[in-house]
Amino acid sequence: MGISRRNFTALLGSSLLGGSLFSSTLLARGNETLFASASQTSRGLYELLIIDQQGALRFRHALPARSHHIAAHPQLPLLAAVGRRPETFIDIVNYQSKQLIQRIQSRQGQHFYGHAIFSPDGRYLISTENQMSTGDGLIVVRDVHDNFNTIKQFSSAGIGPHELKMMPNGRTLVIANGGIHTHPKQGREKLNLSTMQPSLAYIDSLSGKLQEQVFLTTEHHQLSIRHLDVNSQGRVGIALQYQGDKLDDMPLVAFHSQGEAIRLVKAPTPINHAMKQYCGSIRFDQSGETVAVSSPRGDLITFWTQNGDYLNSIKTTDGCGLTATSTKSCFLISTGRGRFYHYDVSTKLKRRISLELPKGIHWDNHLSNIS
Amino acid sequence: MSLKHLIKSILLAYMLLTYSSVAIAEVNPEQWLKLNQAVINDHVLPNYLKLAKQSAELKTSSTQLCQAPNSVTLEQTQTSFINMLNAWQRIQHVQFGPIELLMRSYTIQFWPDKKNLTSKQLNLLLTEANPATLAPEFFNTASIAVKGLPAIERIIFTDEPLKTLQENPFHCQFLQAISGHLLTQTENTLAEWQTYKQEFEYLSSEEGNYESAQEASIDLMKAQVEPLEIIRDLKILRPLGKTAKAKPRRLENWRSKNALQNMQHNIQALHHMYSGVTAYNLSLLMREQGEVGLADDIETQFKSIETGLSKLPSPLSKHLQEASVHKQLLHISEQISQLHSNLEKSMNMLELQLGFNSRDGD
Repeated sequence: MGISRRNFTALLGSSLLGGSLFSSTLLARGNETLFASASQTSRGLYELLIIDQQGALRFRHALPARSHHIAAHPQLPLLAAVGRRPETFIDIVNYQSKQLIQRIQSRQGQHFYGHAIFSPDGRYLISTENQMSTGDGLIVVRDVHDNFNTIKQFSSAGIGPHELKMMPNGRTLVIANGGIHTHPKQGREKLNLSTMQPSLAYIDSLSGKLQEQVFLTTEHHQLSIRHLDVNSQGRVGIALQYQGDKLDDMPLVAFHSQGEAIRLVKAPTPINHAMKQYCGSIRFDQSGETVAVSSPRGDLITFWTQNGDYLNSIKTTDGCGLTATSTKSCFLISTGRGRFYHYDVSTKLKRRISLELPKGIHWDNHLSNIS
Repeated sequence: MSLKHLIKSILLAYMLLTYSSVAIAEVNPEQWLKLNQAVINDHVLPNYLKLAKQSAELKTSSTQLCQAPNSVTLEQTQTSFINMLNAWQRIQHVQFGPIELLMRSYTIQFWPDKKNLTSKQLNLLLTEANPATLAPEFFNTASIAVKGLPAIERIIFTDEPLKTLQENPFHCQFLQAISGHLLTQTENTLAEWQTYKQEFEYLSSEEGNYESAQEASIDLMKAQVEPLEIIRDLKILRPLGKTAKAKPRRLENWRSKNALQNMQHNIQALHHMYSGVTAYNLSLLMREQGEVGLADDIETQFKSIETGLSKLPSPLSKHLQEASVHKQLLHISEQISQLHSNLEKSMNMLELQLGFNSRDGD
């Protein structure tokens, strides 16, 4: 059963409408919730699309190439569409004036990995990048107030940094060092699968100093730490991608709290098999208690507690993008077939959201809630 | 080149581009619908019907075996097993729809079993011989490793199956229980397809599982294209091993000596889906779109793989380490790769994207 666009508004909860009118920060960029994602059109072109709560297409921006994650500025109506590996652009778009503000180019010899975040104060754009000559991972900080000029860059403490998030203290970055060495000259080929050493790194965003780093055991060294999310308690959820033997039955989700070891968790055997060794995105719900993990190769989304207990799974063809709504235990899911679904883990109700979209849109890897 | 000439050649190139891009029309929704209908009605449903039938036969013969365990009833059960296995190999490529529910696909056949779970868990159950494990309810929650074809194979294709079954009636009872569970699964799959097939009966839908006939074709075409890689990687290359000696016990169903037949059924089923469904099929669709050359190539490749497989000695497990067999299998695996790449090419030409995030994620 699908649901009408009008219901979609109700589903997303009244809580996000109340209160926000009085918030000056939200006034600056409007008080409505929007959803943004990179996409591919039926003609094979890449676009940043913004959908409103009614499921209507509000803005489409043509991208120079495929991008991955869309970061929203915390105060201003700005989005950063980050080029996917090995692209070298980030488009900064004002979605109210519907303008491309700036196309950031990575420095000579560097490229992006598809992820960036704005600092909570809105001053900096922080991205993961590849130093191509050495293959070393970089964290690059750009000044939003100064035309996005790079003000510093430092090591990510690993190879192939991918998603990064800010810890609740607003200062420490948590970085997924995927461990996989690639070089644009060899396309997307993975060059070091036998020696890869993924890690989770906590780095002070001001000093660039490594505060804590956790690795996986030798047995698990081919589990690429790729995507992550963090809740308000500092609990980090991690989505993994296994690079080893096709028949291995490895844990594909992990959790971490600073000062502890990584906790690898596994779904029940048939589900774990069905996840096809690959997770594409991970998000906490609004409460930070429930976690959604997408496995697009297996057409599955699995749900977990923040403690790492497996809850259940739903089939969603080519589903990958995930975002929390303003209601506890609820998620929006976007799919490569151009669909949006709303899922409530507590009621186990999955509902399709009608979208007003051109035909043949493929939603790319990540979905962002701009609220 | 003068400016005039330059403009002229640009115009000419533009005209050529425009011409070539309209030369092959987009596949229309009616064509997709026709393909879906033909493949569902003349390929998917008959194959599930056959699977349920063979499953019923296996249930019957295993019941008879347990009533009177002798060489005749054993042989009958072994034959029924092979028939059901073959029927499964002819529909294994369909991984969507009712077969996905309750992880039925894994239930019917959990393979490859790298950690030897079937052996470990089955032996435990057979040793414990707890009557509760014979109840249908037990199978709802039992491990996938003990409730499918591999578990049955271990019971009836051991060294001395008759002796074991005669001495341990519980083994036979458990065999009967698994057969009963499989029958429920295959009958339910078939019954649910009677409803699910409706998803393939419309051109477009707001409420259905698929938005359009074209989207419904994606699931069918995934079943057409993707299993080839699994056959190549798991059924051929993995048993051959990378450097060391070939490992016959990595072959699928080496116990019942059916590894080669499995692959033959797999390829024949994919071939049937491609061009054997008379009402309409992918090959005909490609021809309508002007892709006659590619359609012919794919047809030739299917035939050549079938011929290659038919020339291999059986049981494959006995001959796997022979140099000539090794060479033949490598050749077949290369042919499968080429066939796979041609089918992928055909999907591109028909502008059917089989997966976005699932195929090219990051």
